[in-house]
Amino acid sequence: MTPNLLRSTILLSCILLMSSCALFKKKNAGAGPYGSDSDTVGGTPLPERQEGVSFMSDNVDKHKFPPVHFAFDSYAVDSSDEGTLQAVAQFLQGGSGTVIIAGFTDERGTPEYNRGLGESRAESVRDYLLHHGADASKIQTVSFGAEMPVDPDSNEDAWAKNRRAEFGVVK
Amino acid sequence: MINTHALRISRICLLLAFSLGPAAQAADTPTITVSKSDTIALAFQPITGPDGPAITRVLESDLAATGYFTLSSPGSASLIVAGSSSGSQLDGKVSDHGGRSAVAGTYNGDTRAKAHAFANDIVQTLTGNRGIAGSRIAFSATRTGRKEIYIGDCDGSALQQLTHDNSISVGPSLSPDGHLLAYTGYKAGYADIYLVNLSTGSRDRIIKYPGTNSGAAFSPGGDRIACTLSKDGNPELYVCGLNGSARRLTHTSGVESSPTWSPGGDEIIYSYDDHGGPQLFRISSSGGSGQQLSTGFGYCTEPDWSPDGSKLAFNVREEGSFSVAVMDLRGGSARIVASGERPVWGPDSRHLIFSDDGVLYLMDVQTGRKKAIVSGLGRATEPTWAH
Repeated sequence: MTPNLLRSTILLSCILLMSSCALFKKKNAGAGPYGSDSDTVGGTPLPERQEGVSFMSDNVDKHKFPPVHFAFDSYAVDSSDEGTLQAVAQFLQGGSGTVIIAGFTDERGTPEYNRGLGESRAESVRDYLLHHGADASKIQTVSFGAEMPVDPDSNEDAWAKNRRAEFGVVK
Repeated sequence: MINTHALRISRICLLLAFSLGPAAQAADTPTITVSKSDTIALAFQPITGPDGPAITRVLESDLAATGYFTLSSPGSASLIVAGSSSGSQLDGKVSDHGGRSAVAGTYNGDTRAKAHAFANDIVQTLTGNRGIAGSRIAFSATRTGRKEIYIGDCDGSALQQLTHDNSISVGPSLSPDGHLLAYTGYKAGYADIYLVNLSTGSRDRIIKYPGTNSGAAFSPGGDRIACTLSKDGNPELYVCGLNGSARRLTHTSGVESSPTWSPGGDEIIYSYDDHGGPQLFRISSSGGSGQQLSTGFGYCTEPDWSPDGSKLAFNVREEGSFSVAVMDLRGGSARIVASGERPVWGPDSRHLIFSDDGVLYLMDVQTGRKKAIVSGLGRATEPTWAH
């Protein structure tokens, strides 16, 4: 490396370092509604929650769309559910409708792991909807893990029904 | 076996060879070295005073549970436990057959508190390790038909229902000093992290970002909470202040969950799942990239770091059922110690509490002895243990 090249490399590094520091500070200072870090690496941030609305509240219709299902320990969207998902995506393209996607697991797996898995299921469904034209500002997610099973039995049939994501359409 | 010269010192320091703690190393010259499998034989002179019999019962139970002692007749015991109680004060002492004092102290509080304090002083002085007597636990149970948080002592006594949310209240975490409790509650219809001040009873919903907020774990200092948040579009690990401010630690496409802190607070171990077969990873609590821990098992979740920093307990799933595994972090492989899930270490880094089929068990990992401490509250799961 020639002295000149070395000098310019150092200079460039300093500029990059300074600018990245400035960027970092700006990002922290800009806090926003979600605290000090709104990093977007690996996903599209969720919009702020709507006051007085949740998957559990009466002002949400849980039966407008059927649930979609998942394989054991998986959060990959199943191709057999594409019809449902496209209908939801279409619903979210027009008008002012908003949806809360709730992720659930079967009873196998430990509670906190299941809460993470349920959220991943909800987020996988959300990703699908976003890729099919849905507006991110109209979707919330929540995970209930293994709580609130559709079928309380302990067999393959019940577990398959319980590994699901449901759609709560805000009325 | 007893060195008579060293016995002239006022406080005998009996050391178990396997449990050289910092306190023991700093104490007076060791006089007895007990080999790994040995226990110290203790005999009791009934504690005198109005609540003496009750103190004696609690003390015997506390000391037997430690794993360090056997209770025997005065003739065959190497040390005698005695004391006198009056009002809120207990004067306790442990001495040898010659009347020479090994432990002597004054302990204050109600009957149980006095007994626990004396038991912990005996453990600390004779073994160099911290005692677990009277340490606090919390867990989730379905007694009312809903999952609520309960708190109590580590022997399953003094149990109280803490939450009455009539919703889903799960995943409790006690701060190391036992004064604060964080849990995941669905009272607002979403999974949010609530903070309860156990001294004042005040309760706040402190972490309530969009998406799911769960898996709270207090830092050793009790001033930060590591948890999983999905606000950025995917479950990731964050370190939050008790005011709810969040700093992101991980950036992956998979699912991070169940963080546990190193005793110094500089590192976090957690479970990471990328399309099945979750594994354990280790990351600096200030960020960076996670490094996988080699456990030898294909499905590992919910790790818990021992307060002495040397061991990790976690869930292993094999052939459809869950086992409790313990791994030596200084090298060495993981081994299964029991069937069950969600193991958490006690202050002595020797006992675990875990759930198995809705019952909570206290287990001495060194001896393998375990006993049920919480049952009959519906299904009890997700224990946490203050250090």
